[in-house]
Amino acid sequence: MLRVTNVRKVFESVRGNYVALDGVSLTVKDGEFVCLLGPSGCGKSTLLNILAGFEPVSGGSVTFGEAPITGPGRERVMFFQDAGSALLPWLSVEENIRFGLRVRKIPKAEWAGITDRYLEMVGLDAHRGKFPAELSGGMRQRLQIARGLAVEPNVLLMDEPFAALDALTRRRMHKVLLDIWQRIGKTVVFVTHDIAEAISLADRIAVMSVGPGSVITRVIEPDLPRPRDLADAKVARLFGEIEDLLTPDLIRLDERLEAH
Amino acid sequence: MSTAYGRQSGSAVEAGDTPAPPPHGWHAWIASPAIRTVALTTASLLIGFCTWQLLSTFVFNPFLIPPPLDVLRTAIPMLASGEIASDVTISMVRVLVGFTTGSLAGVIIGVLLGRVRLLHDLLDPIIELLRYLSPTAMIPIAVIWFGIGELSKYFLIFWGTFFIVLINTTAGVWRAPVARQRAAACLGATQLQIFVLVVVPSAVPYIVTGMRVAMASSFMSIIPAEILAANSGIGYLLQQSSLLLQTNRIFVALLTICVLGFIVDRIFRLVVDKVLARYMSFVSQT
Repeated sequence: MLRVTNVRKVFESVRGNYVALDGVSLTVKDGEFVCLLGPSGCGKSTLLNILAGFEPVSGGSVTFGEAPITGPGRERVMFFQDAGSALLPWLSVEENIRFGLRVRKIPKAEWAGITDRYLEMVGLDAHRGKFPAELSGGMRQRLQIARGLAVEPNVLLMDEPFAALDALTRRRMHKVLLDIWQRIGKTVVFVTHDIAEAISLADRIAVMSVGPGSVITRVIEPDLPRPRDLADAKVARLFGEIEDLLTPDLIRLDERLEAH
Repeated sequence: MSTAYGRQSGSAVEAGDTPAPPPHGWHAWIASPAIRTVALTTASLLIGFCTWQLLSTFVFNPFLIPPPLDVLRTAIPMLASGEIASDVTISMVRVLVGFTTGSLAGVIIGVLLGRVRLLHDLLDPIIELLRYLSPTAMIPIAVIWFGIGELSKYFLIFWGTFFIVLINTTAGVWRAPVARQRAAACLGATQLQIFVLVVVPSAVPYIVTGMRVAMASSFMSIIPAEILAANSGIGYLLQQSSLLLQTNRIFVALLTICVLGFIVDRIFRLVVDKVLARYMSFVSQT
């Protein structure tokens, strides 16, 4: 279980301090799929970086199980939006996966089996000899996912992984991700600013307010069967509800930017 | 893998091997990029050669600017006797020794400066000042320190190479994508593994660029070094020919430098292509 308790995050700089998060609390159960949803600048990526252990908290606590999170840990793997820069461009598809197995000291005898399994899972087994530069954006993202899954973490932290993909590819990736998640049952914390994406994926959606001093304003549970069709009346109603929730924040953000 | 380097030298190699034009017409002929390159390069050289020949025969004093045919006539015995080969060998060994040691030192210290912030902040001001001392500026003191033998030439080329490679390496290490390092940390890599397996390979394109620039600079520094303080090498050939007012021989030496630089750069690219191609990708967009 991931537990975020009353977390505060202040970025200090010469121009002054910026309070990014001010009292964020959230609990994510094992095997749950949670989306952090909010407009740009709401601190959702900051919260994810804290969960990954890249950033320390300024106040409050984050724990995984019983242990406090103090740095990157092998049970949590982050998936970046820019798969091209997260992958190692000088290694082939297969070698990128083996890189993770190597640094995690998994016995060499198991490498081939693990590599095959996860490349097949994301549908890249036909491209194992290619280099990242030879793959499409969606394929690179699938490779990043396979590489992360291959080291068998408990928690997948995903930072807008599909935001840079075209709409069709994104929908296909949603299906791929849901299939994998339903099969392996890992915990997922997924950051997005896309309401439709959050609805089609999440068990629970944590809606965040615009910073400074972001908090989780509401947690919504779309208790609907997957796959969720946006044309469905219940799904559409939920979409409208969340949109109404975010709109005042966006208007305030616009006003503040105009005032500057 | 296709890289910027791969494409360039790939087409250059193709260009050299391209057979006769295909039979279907002038347009198809000129449309093939490889043939087009060969044709235009040949045309460029021919036009230059003819213009030079005409100008130095009819316009300029042929003693000051000897016509290319005269230069060729002078060059043939120099080539046949091995005079040029021996001077070229001497100069090239100097460049290679200085360039190799300078690159090695530049990469090692550059990597350290890119990683250890304190070391960088301490040494950067000194480097920023010293890098303005070109190898040419260092010739007088190098002669006093090391004499006019090989050591002073090694030192001067080392000096020129070191700072260029150092600065590029540091920049490359710095620009290793944060996401790449963090992703490796999540997979379970230690700090040392991240450094050796992620950060340093990410810097390779910058290091190679630095080395190419340094190679060109080495070619420019070896000549003044040999003119002022040597008794062998191409620079010495230039200086001796100048003393004896042998403009033909001066032009032979100058052409030798042109051809040599071109060949060495091609070899450098070829080696990078064969050995480092997979590291040369700057690609990081999704």
